[in-house]
Amino acid sequence: MKRHDVVVVGAGLAGQRAALAAAEKGRDVAIVSKLHPLRSHSGAAQGGINAALGKEDSAETHIYDTVKGSDYLGDQDAIEFFCQEAGPTVVEMEHFGTIFSRADDGSLARRPFGGAGFPRTIYAADRTGLALLQALWEHLETQSFTLYEEWDLTNLIVRDGRVQGIVAFDRRRGDFEELAAKSVVIATGPFGRVYARTTNAHSCTGDGVAAAYAVGAYLKDMEFVQFHPTALLESGILITEGARGEGGILKNGQEERFMTRYAPHVQELASRDVVSRAIATEVMEGRGFPGKYVHLELMHLGRELIESRLQEICDFCRSFAGIDPVNEPIPVMPAQHYMMGGVGTNLRGETNIPGLFAAGEAACVSIHGANRLGGNSLLETLVFGKQAGLAAAEFAEYAPAAVLHESDLEAETSTIRAMSNRTEGEDPQRLRSELQALMEGLVGIFRKPAELTQALSQVRALKERFSAVRVVDASKVYNINLTDALETGHLLTLAEVIVVSALARTESRGAHYRVDFPQRDDKNWMRHTLAQRTPSGPTLSYSSVAFTRWEPKERVY
Amino acid sequence: MATATITAEMDVFRFDPTSESKPRYQRYSLELPPHAPVLTALLKIREETDPTLTLRYSCRSAICGSCAMLINARSRLACQTPVGPEMERHGRIVIEPMGNQPVLRDLVVETEPFWRQYHRVEPYLKPDPLRPMPVGKETPMTPTEVKRFQETPRCIACGACYSACPAVTADPEFPGPMALAKLYRYVVDPRDGAHQDRLLRIQTSGLWLCLRCHLCTEACPKDVRPSERIRDLKELAIAAQGVTEPGSRHAVAFKDNIAEKGVLNEFKLARQSLGPSQLLGQLSQGVKIRRRKPELMKKPKPIDGHAEVVKLYELLDSDEEGTP
Repeated sequence: MKRHDVVVVGAGLAGQRAALAAAEKGRDVAIVSKLHPLRSHSGAAQGGINAALGKEDSAETHIYDTVKGSDYLGDQDAIEFFCQEAGPTVVEMEHFGTIFSRADDGSLARRPFGGAGFPRTIYAADRTGLALLQALWEHLETQSFTLYEEWDLTNLIVRDGRVQGIVAFDRRRGDFEELAAKSVVIATGPFGRVYARTTNAHSCTGDGVAAAYAVGAYLKDMEFVQFHPTALLESGILITEGARGEGGILKNGQEERFMTRYAPHVQELASRDVVSRAIATEVMEGRGFPGKYVHLELMHLGRELIESRLQEICDFCRSFAGIDPVNEPIPVMPAQHYMMGGVGTNLRGETNIPGLFAAGEAACVSIHGANRLGGNSLLETLVFGKQAGLAAAEFAEYAPAAVLHESDLEAETSTIRAMSNRTEGEDPQRLRSELQALMEGLVGIFRKPAELTQALSQVRALKERFSAVRVVDASKVYNINLTDALETGHLLTLAEVIVVSALARTESRGAHYRVDFPQRDDKNWMRHTLAQRTPSGPTLSYSSVAFTRWEPKERVY
Repeated sequence: MATATITAEMDVFRFDPTSESKPRYQRYSLELPPHAPVLTALLKIREETDPTLTLRYSCRSAICGSCAMLINARSRLACQTPVGPEMERHGRIVIEPMGNQPVLRDLVVETEPFWRQYHRVEPYLKPDPLRPMPVGKETPMTPTEVKRFQETPRCIACGACYSACPAVTADPEFPGPMALAKLYRYVVDPRDGAHQDRLLRIQTSGLWLCLRCHLCTEACPKDVRPSERIRDLKELAIAAQGVTEPGSRHAVAFKDNIAEKGVLNEFKLARQSLGPSQLLGQLSQGVKIRRRKPELMKKPKPIDGHAEVVKLYELLDSDEEGTP
């Protein structure tokens, strides 16, 4: 059995930043990741990272924009801390070696983004996540830590009221192993793969979130699912908000710039929930192009700007859609993009389970509330990754050694090993596809109670079938049929929580839109959803939203 | 949208070293639209026919670098290579694991050699203690400094260049294109304080082993152009440290040699590159060449239009554009 002070699960920006903070405190740190750290989904973030560095801008306006963007569900104390940390965080990443785009005077370039009062999104062309990921990983490698590369988290071990370690699956050797840990940080990112059309990578299956839920952690605000307005029609590949920030416009099938009707002041740069609903409405009401989509036009920006500041998406359009955005419009439709919900934490990344921490998209602090602003997620990974790492390091300093029993490994993996021993059973990939299709159809941008109820019974039926899932691949080496099964199990667990939370919230707020309750209801619903596991399914409770200075107002863009 | 489909004939490399004695190729025929990427085809095989087909993949949008493999013998990203043109050109699609790395299973290779070379170039900032970064502010940079390296983060470390590189095949100690392109990124970073040390060390540990075949640049899915970055490193090394290594001596000698007559004087080149003592070691080789190809030992005459060559050299020497 291997033993560490702090085990960080997930090696994207949040996990790496947590590991860096804990390693700098002198703890023995291990990172467990199913992908090489440089392949993490953080690297796919395109548009930028927010920090009010402009002379005319201030942390104060960044706070206000974030509170408003969250549809007043974000905790204002957390948002204040978050925005005040933005400047120092971006500067620190520059000092670590990030290659940001620069203005002519050599200062960090900034672009406008949706829902923001000033151009405050710092960027590296349209590969900001990749530039940050490289710089942080290369900086982290100057520290001492252990990397378990291509290991999948299967279980958290909680006993005597605290975390004792994890069980993980080593893809290359095909073995399960226990890692004893005084504290564990969950930084496994999102679970967008519960949907069929998503900008998320195939690896975004919420392994850590599901594992935390399984041992009793609260999952917070899981009904809030962000649909990004502009994803390539067929593949769902993301076209950055930066494209609209640089001046891109949206047109419906009648060549009308329809956003002027939905957001008269800022048009395409309204917040994402607003723009996605507008696009979906246009298409639903028959004003889309045949084939049901709208156009994102960049042609008027000129070749030079497009090919320099939007270089990656230019390549994406050419490679994946056969379209040259310099000369023709891009057919787009919204696609699942971001999970506002996740493992509930406070400002320090602490969950309700001692020794268990979470950060990044896997966590819900909450700073995004009901709707995240573009440019705030990269910042969140770094600000709260660091906080979770510091808190986990501190916990490990005072916690007694973790205790694992020899029987743990056997007990924790018996269900998984049973999957491989069946001679007949369900195909994990088929179950996953069925789940993705039903979530896409029934739990999308516009939510109807009858459809949510139907979704719940279908998800539960799939969960039932999953108990007979079969892994046909018998090899010990790199068995991705087995990891398919593990991931499908996580997705089913999390989908159930999303649907139950969405059914209960009888109002419309941010990204959660109920056609039967189209208004925001501050009297009854200004509160966070907390879902906790019971043998019969999630049970819900609610917690209050932290207010400091900003009274709820109607949101107009 | 209805799209016409084609039949993709896929011959996929299969091998599980723990249970099979040798690799085999398995044929799969699939109906797909011509613009569907090879990755989509492979995932369709996994979903519909054979869930044991093993590969790495994640983002499906050419940004995570997981799915590099050989597609009709070329190192490519599966997610970025459409099936249609492959079928048109080759009549079938042969899928094999990347080169220069041992196979773990099917299309999954052991990436340890690749990452070892990456670590060898010490890919992290080594700030200059004499020039501390400004407190609470970004490091100032001029547009020229920014221009030199702002494209370098495009590298997604997919390993396609490493897979395609014949110098890696010939000499496993050659760092490979990705690692050298990464080194370039640090050597032109104004925040790094170890430029000289980095250049000095790479000169004696593999820089000059590059064969200048440009296969890495051809393979790179993100237009990083590793061979051009290697060329930049060589120029920076010569500019900073002079012509000190056999590799740099050879490069400079090659250039001067051709300038003289407009054609290569091979005998003289050996002398220029190697210097007297090393030349002595090549004596037996020289005797062999003299016997088989005596014309190589003769002094060449200036070619017609030698004056044009001289002009070209002058032009190239006056052009500062190409220098990084």
